[in-house]
Amino acid sequence: MGPIDYRDSRPIYEQIKDSIRRLIFSGAMSEGDQLPSVRNLAAQLSINPNTIQRAYRELEAEGCVTSVPGKGSFVRKTDSIEAARRRELFSKLDDATSALYHIGVSLEEILAHLRAQKEGENHDSSI
Amino acid sequence: MIQVSEVVKTFDGFRALDGLSMHVPKGSVYGLVGPNGAGKSTIIRHLTGVYRQDSGQILVDGAPIFENASTKARIGYIPDDAFFFQSAGVRDMMKYYQGIYPRFDRARYERLREVFQLDEKQPIRRLSKGMQKQALFWLSLCIRPDLLILDEPVDGLDPVMRRQVWSLVMDDVSENGTTVLVSSHNLRELEDVCDYVGVMHKGKLLLEHALSELQDNICKVQLVMKEGGGMPEGLNILHENTTGRVQTLIVRGKQEAIQKTIKACDPLFFDLLPLSLEEIFVYELGGVDYEIKNILL
Repeated sequence: MGPIDYRDSRPIYEQIKDSIRRLIFSGAMSEGDQLPSVRNLAAQLSINPNTIQRAYRELEAEGCVTSVPGKGSFVRKTDSIEAARRRELFSKLDDATSALYHIGVSLEEILAHLRAQKEGENHDSSI
Repeated sequence: MIQVSEVVKTFDGFRALDGLSMHVPKGSVYGLVGPNGAGKSTIIRHLTGVYRQDSGQILVDGAPIFENASTKARIGYIPDDAFFFQSAGVRDMMKYYQGIYPRFDRARYERLREVFQLDEKQPIRRLSKGMQKQALFWLSLCIRPDLLILDEPVDGLDPVMRRQVWSLVMDDVSENGTTVLVSSHNLRELEDVCDYVGVMHKGKLLLEHALSELQDNICKVQLVMKEGGGMPEGLNILHENTTGRVQTLIVRGKQEAIQKTIKACDPLFFDLLPLSLEEIFVYELGGVDYEIKNILL
């Protein structure tokens, strides 16, 4: 678990959710892995246990974590995680695209760039 | 855990507390914030049974706190101005605490020695301000309090020790359900540890909310409208500021609803940002005449 980024103005529970999601999406945590206990994480990050509880609760509602009473919280791998990962990455792409739009880059240029990058990647892997 | 209703306290005709009401739920970490002279330390001295209010009621765990020894035995108090006996070392103070607090945990005292690494024989009054604070934390955590009242607790502590004491306190909260009331000006830090926040101003409580509720109900909008485009309507705007074509608005309301309202007006550009506790503090107090004044000297 990464530390809290103090320059990030997002609420802390969002930051915790995000860093756990990132661990799951990137494969650093896989199905059945146990999340750190609320007490441990609270002491480790010096933050309120209820904040962590809230982050875990919302992750559970999103479906990437299951809680077993008395045992703890565990990673759950489902299709919805893959879908959520896709959604997240696409929304990043949307942000970048609209930023490019605002400085006057045309859709064709953006597409050309994406194609060139894709070919570059294939080229690299063929070496 | 703490129920304060309509408390008034006057010093020489000055109303330090002016009908203050607040409620600290059991097991919560309650951050008390407010400008200098708002009455934070005054209410804390009432909650620890040091002062007696002129009128109103203060209940701690259902009972009036003034002269209530059995409740006070379960309250850990870290005041801003610490008191130690002349030439008493931490070990001497420990014996004193042990005599006063029936739940004093000697084993915990021994374990915490490793954390604080103070010279127990050295008179505490000769230690630095930060080390005196450490001594207080050491002793106060050993009495296994149900309620921990902290007045500017991390004042004078170095960054490592700050994290360390908060970590100990948070462990107590999650393990024993300890209720914590903390006053501080370090809002960045309060944001980490608190789940409730009360804002005081001139002896009254301006607002009292769960922190998550506070943060979910206010946001900052950066907005550039199209040439000749009208402003979005129906927003509850607390504060606005225009720099060039960019407008920065502080808006009260749910993020999704605000986003929808603004999108409907088809702006050139907009961005929603959450507010830090520090910003919330500044804008909420701005509404009651306590603003940062633009004065150039």
